[in-house]
Amino acid sequence: MKRMWKHRHLLAVMTARELKARYRGSVLGFLWSLANPLLLLGVYTFVFSLVFQPRVEGQSPYPVFLVCGIFPWVWVSSSLNEGTTSLTGNAGLIRRSVFPVELLPLVPVLSNLVNFLLSIPILVAALLAARALGHPVGGPAILLLPVVILAHLPFVAGTALALAALAVHFKDVRDIVSNLLTLGFFLTPILYSVAAVPYQTLRALILWNPLTPFVLAYQDVLFRGRAPEPAVWAGMALASVVAWSLGAWVFDRLSDTLIEAV
Amino acid sequence: MLPPTPTPVGQGELAVRLEHVGKTFRRVAAGYPFRTLKSALIDRSLVRDLRPEESIRALRSISLRVAKGEAVALVGGNGSGKSTLLKIMAGLLRPTTGTVEVDGRVAALIELGAGFHPEISGRENVFINGAVLGLRRAEIERRYDDIVAFAGLEDFIDEPVKNYSSGMYVRLGFSVAIHTDPEILLVDEVLAVGDEAFAHRCLRRIEEFLAGGRTLVLVSHDLGLVESLCDRAHWLDGGELRLSGRPRQVCDAYREAIAEAEGRQHKEEKEAAAASMGGPRAAAAGGAAEASTSGDGSETHGGQEEPRRWGSRAAEIVAARLCDGDGRETYHLRSGSEARFVVEVRAERPLDDFVFGIGIFTPRGIECWGTNTDLIGLRPRRLAGTATVVVRCPELLLGPGEYLVDLAIHARDGAPYDYRRRVFAFTVTARERAVGPAPGRGAGRGLYLPHNEWRFEGGVEWEEDPGEE
Repeated sequence: MKRMWKHRHLLAVMTARELKARYRGSVLGFLWSLANPLLLLGVYTFVFSLVFQPRVEGQSPYPVFLVCGIFPWVWVSSSLNEGTTSLTGNAGLIRRSVFPVELLPLVPVLSNLVNFLLSIPILVAALLAARALGHPVGGPAILLLPVVILAHLPFVAGTALALAALAVHFKDVRDIVSNLLTLGFFLTPILYSVAAVPYQTLRALILWNPLTPFVLAYQDVLFRGRAPEPAVWAGMALASVVAWSLGAWVFDRLSDTLIEAV
Repeated sequence: MLPPTPTPVGQGELAVRLEHVGKTFRRVAAGYPFRTLKSALIDRSLVRDLRPEESIRALRSISLRVAKGEAVALVGGNGSGKSTLLKIMAGLLRPTTGTVEVDGRVAALIELGAGFHPEISGRENVFINGAVLGLRRAEIERRYDDIVAFAGLEDFIDEPVKNYSSGMYVRLGFSVAIHTDPEILLVDEVLAVGDEAFAHRCLRRIEEFLAGGRTLVLVSHDLGLVESLCDRAHWLDGGELRLSGRPRQVCDAYREAIAEAEGRQHKEEKEAAAASMGGPRAAAAGGAAEASTSGDGSETHGGQEEPRRWGSRAAEIVAARLCDGDGRETYHLRSGSEARFVVEVRAERPLDDFVFGIGIFTPRGIECWGTNTDLIGLRPRRLAGTATVVVRCPELLLGPGEYLVDLAIHARDGAPYDYRRRVFAFTVTARERAVGPAPGRGAGRGLYLPHNEWRFEGGVEWEEDPGEE
């Protein structure tokens, strides 16, 4: 932790570099980071307003409900996927220089966070459009969004740290993570609300999913326009504290041996 | 449990202190990642609970100290543990046993492209590298122009580093490291990659660095550089410290050991070659059989290869060896010492026309010396049965290097009886410095080290004793 703070300049340089590298050589540059969320929003609007018309209580308009959960999810899943390979992918750097390795898993977390933040104006625009059409969505609760993101950050960062360190020892971690994330998408109430799940056990599983409170909170402050319930806050705090402590512990224990194993 | 590295030395004058440092690596081929994850989590080591056959001991209990302001070299063969030791000093690797204490800000140039990110430009790498070495952005900006100018990369600094040549990599790496003003600089054999001009600039920079009271630890195979630059040298062999001391002393001992090993190898090769020829009889028979097919009696090793032995075998070379002044067989001689080439010959039937010849060649085929009994004015009368020919050079004036010996018996008109190329090889090392009555003898470089005397007239003065210590 202390070392991370000491190297915050380096972390900033690395993150900026990562973002620049991603769009270097492309004509539209960083506008591409807006293209993907816009495209998602457009496709969902088309599919769920014109093709299917799901009539679900409290989720109308459905495309807007969807993106309120999906945008944060994209942050989580890209961060964890990229974070997992952040050490193995930079083996040369780690082996040859006295590099603060703990920064490497954090770089994709932060660069994807920037992308997430860039997509927020689109979310806001979508919410405003829905309100203009007479849907009772959004509201001043959106001011709580920074708090939710800050509460979410240690969870993503801690998980990325642990996965990155474990992936050095076991190549399988990468595949496990990408598959678990696909599964996790459906075990998180992004496409549906928890109340709509008919089976008790499945509902319990969804509620115990550490990502559920975060997604609920995003939907609360963005879509439902209300502050999250205390239980949701507690869930977020617990998930973040546990993920960060565990991640930092695993990484710390493994950091001495990473250079040899990578 | 070991204290974390690095911790302050606390004695003021030491920059690095290693106490009984050992390092064991896991053999990846041996498997067992589960067990190593457990030991990594519990013991912070990948090797704690491995069996010996699953691990490699790269270093065994090394203790050494580097004083502040000292320039220290680590020499030794490949796999002797030099780079591992340097990585441990850099804090890149953790020792399996022992303690490491480093006092001062360290910059390390480990291997090529020390810590560059291949996909991004040299410019950004300078900033990242500088930040890794603990500089703030403003500090890097201030030194940026110097860094790029020193590396000579003004035209390429915005190219991605992956497109750099290895020389450009090293130049940039060294330039960043030296400009970040470290207190301790660790350099692993990277200077050899740059061109001559850059090497000179680096050396000048390193000398300035040392003049500023900074500390250098250098891993190098360039023993000349070690001798000229460093205050101390440590010779690592098989993960152990074999010798520490003044660079000259250590490098000489190291060179000596290499030459001895080469000498042993020359002997083994010679014996193996003799064995594979199946003795002179079989060789003669082979030569005869060959004569019927290739016409000139050449004994070839197949294909286009140059023949190693040819001739009618009216007389033959049965055996040959190299001996020193005491008559001991050896294939390692010091320049300027006595050498005896001992050749056993045999003639089935008495001959009255014969010449013995010897030639010494470099591995690249340059003839250093060649002579025969005809050239020195001996007129043959009779050779019958077995005989021994000894060619004695009271002072072998060859420079340090490897040499190959050709031997021949032929008729005075040149018709070969037995011509053997590359009969054996030997290694010559420089004689011990500044000993003996004539310091000019056997010292210097090149193929030929003739006796030489220097005379000076006018305003030239020399120290009384130019020798060691």
